[in-house]
Amino acid sequence: MDTNAVKVHFRVIRFIQEAGLKLRLTSLPIATAAVIYHKFFRENKITDFDPYLVGTTALYMAGKIEEEVVKLRDVVNICHRTLHKNKPPLDIGETFWSLRESVASSELLILRSLRFKVVFSQPHKFVLHYLKFLKDWFDPHDWDTIPISKTSWAFLRDCYHGDMCLNYKAEHIAIGVIYFALLSHGMEVPYHNEADMKWWQENPNQPPKMVLSDDLTLPTVQNIISDLMTLYEMEILVQS
Amino acid sequence: MMKKLKRRLSLTLRTGRGLDESLSELAEQLTVEDRSQSVQEVRENGIVHEIPRIGSDGESEEISGTSDEKDDNISPVKRRHKNRRINEEVMKRLSLPADIRLPENFLARQSLSLSPDGQLTRQSRRKSLSEIGFGKLESYTKLDKLGEGTYATVFKGKSRLTDNLVALKEIRLEHEEGAPCTAIREVSLLRDLKHANIVTLHDIIHTEKSLTLVFEYLEKDLKQYMDDCGNIMSMTNVKIFLYQLLRGLAYCHKRRVLHRDLKPQNLLINERGELKLADFGLARAKSIPTKTYSNEVVTLWYRPPDVLLGSTEYSTPIDMWGVGCIFYEMACGRPLFPGSTVEDELLLIFKALGTPTEQEFPGISSNEEYVSYNFSRYKPEPLINIAPRLDHDGLDLLSKFLKYAARNRMSAASGMTHSFFNSFGSTIHRIPDTVSIFTIPGISLHRDPGIRSSSLAASGNRRRQSMLF
Repeated sequence: MDTNAVKVHFRVIRFIQEAGLKLRLTSLPIATAAVIYHKFFRENKITDFDPYLVGTTALYMAGKIEEEVVKLRDVVNICHRTLHKNKPPLDIGETFWSLRESVASSELLILRSLRFKVVFSQPHKFVLHYLKFLKDWFDPHDWDTIPISKTSWAFLRDCYHGDMCLNYKAEHIAIGVIYFALLSHGMEVPYHNEADMKWWQENPNQPPKMVLSDDLTLPTVQNIISDLMTLYEMEILVQS
Repeated sequence: MMKKLKRRLSLTLRTGRGLDESLSELAEQLTVEDRSQSVQEVRENGIVHEIPRIGSDGESEEISGTSDEKDDNISPVKRRHKNRRINEEVMKRLSLPADIRLPENFLARQSLSLSPDGQLTRQSRRKSLSEIGFGKLESYTKLDKLGEGTYATVFKGKSRLTDNLVALKEIRLEHEEGAPCTAIREVSLLRDLKHANIVTLHDIIHTEKSLTLVFEYLEKDLKQYMDDCGNIMSMTNVKIFLYQLLRGLAYCHKRRVLHRDLKPQNLLINERGELKLADFGLARAKSIPTKTYSNEVVTLWYRPPDVLLGSTEYSTPIDMWGVGCIFYEMACGRPLFPGSTVEDELLLIFKALGTPTEQEFPGISSNEEYVSYNFSRYKPEPLINIAPRLDHDGLDLLSKFLKYAARNRMSAASGMTHSFFNSFGSTIHRIPDTVSIFTIPGISLHRDPGIRSSSLAASGNRRRQSMLF
């Protein structure tokens, strides 16, 4: 993908996240909106569709899919306001109705383009689960003073600025962001070196509930981290 | 079996016979062999081979215009043929309904596109599917109306391509809020569920004003079935239906899909006795809806007490309470807790099972709604008194579904291995997902004691009134 498109996608995701927060959506529907958006543009050319309309529609659909339904009226108003900060709020008039209509018909288009497959497995619950599991290994004082969970969650949110959510399994992204968070804070999982297996790898002799992942390799983790780092470099490019 | 088919296929291709001939021949083979052979295999060597893509009834599992990316892993069997690609392409076509009658001109075009390196792209594949008639409303004749549900109207229909009966679920697209949330969820979930005890989604048709889902057609729902046999079912049939219900649910739950609205009207049954779950994707109710779109009353009879008391924690046990209620209803011929309001429903539950203690139902004593109802303390009634037709195993199983604490309810998967089903033998646990339990010798529907001789004719005309499709 050319850098121009990557930049556009970066900005649109930023817009989705901002509008999503204003709509009081939680992390999950916002993440789902981003996945819908990226999936759509993997199948379609960016020159053929207005990315912001796709983003708005993705946000509206994600609310339905994750069962935090938002009113179409609110979506249109808030997205418009987020995009045009200097313009006055949208009046009920021709523009409003045609925007509404556009979102409603784009919804069907996106559904068809994604072949109606719009329920995704997201890394969020894996991150929570893994963090809970790791917490018990750490010195309680370290865990309380070093914001590992916060950093992991932030990395997770930021990873949607690119399309890496389509390239890796949800579980792997979850481990990737936690691993990166640990690295960033210069921490290591205690007793990591003495263990037979890496903390993010399955021990075949143990029951499956102790497992973090059974098919994740270090290169994949490194790829996830390097993808994330590329995204942060992209941020500088987008803002300049 | 796939190997054999493929060999046949390459043979027929080489000898230059008409593609249509071989296709229809294969189709026949599929329907016949699929049933007998797969079971034989199970019996002979105890190994179960997944038969991908082709359902137990040899019907389509592919949905037009919406094909997966999974196109490549059609068969686990290694292909060593020279004309491997051709075979792959033809195998893909085979996931169409087995008895499809392909138009002549389509076949002509098809043989052209089977050039050595003419790999079919998804788009051209979609196009060719659409040429056959998938994804088009004209391909289906609308017959009588079957019922009206929360967000859709269901019609009986007939496919002009296969002459098979289908159920057409027509979803109104009000431009107010776009496609209904439940419809999006239902389609998205059903696309991933391929199981002998889950209704098959054949096709999706979208027009300007509506979205039509084309499902396989099943003659009755469980409610009608029970009515038709005067509410006295043979105990064997109860077992067969309950097992299939658990089997379908276990498959969903393994994929973290909840049904959320189990009731006899949502369990469809065909003449063979195959039971299939329908109507997925009911919205996660923040509060229990009391009226549907068409002003029908939503039944509370199968709702677990935790949901009735406003729990929004949704997990697999919420489906298991309903399983218990349906089990009871099949065995005893009347609904277990036919309450008309939330309070009435809870009262009926408490009168039968006893008012719950904090120990039985953690958190109950601090539940505001529960406290505000101010129920009297009832003693539990022995289950044998309310379900006299059930034997020891049956009563044990029933009591395990009807637990106040959601986490204590028996799961669908462990329910399947309960001693109540011992009479089915052990083969039943090893059949592949898409194979019907009726392929196992010795499993067949018995005559229900209460059946009326004229009931078959009568049920044909009756509408599925409350089918909340």
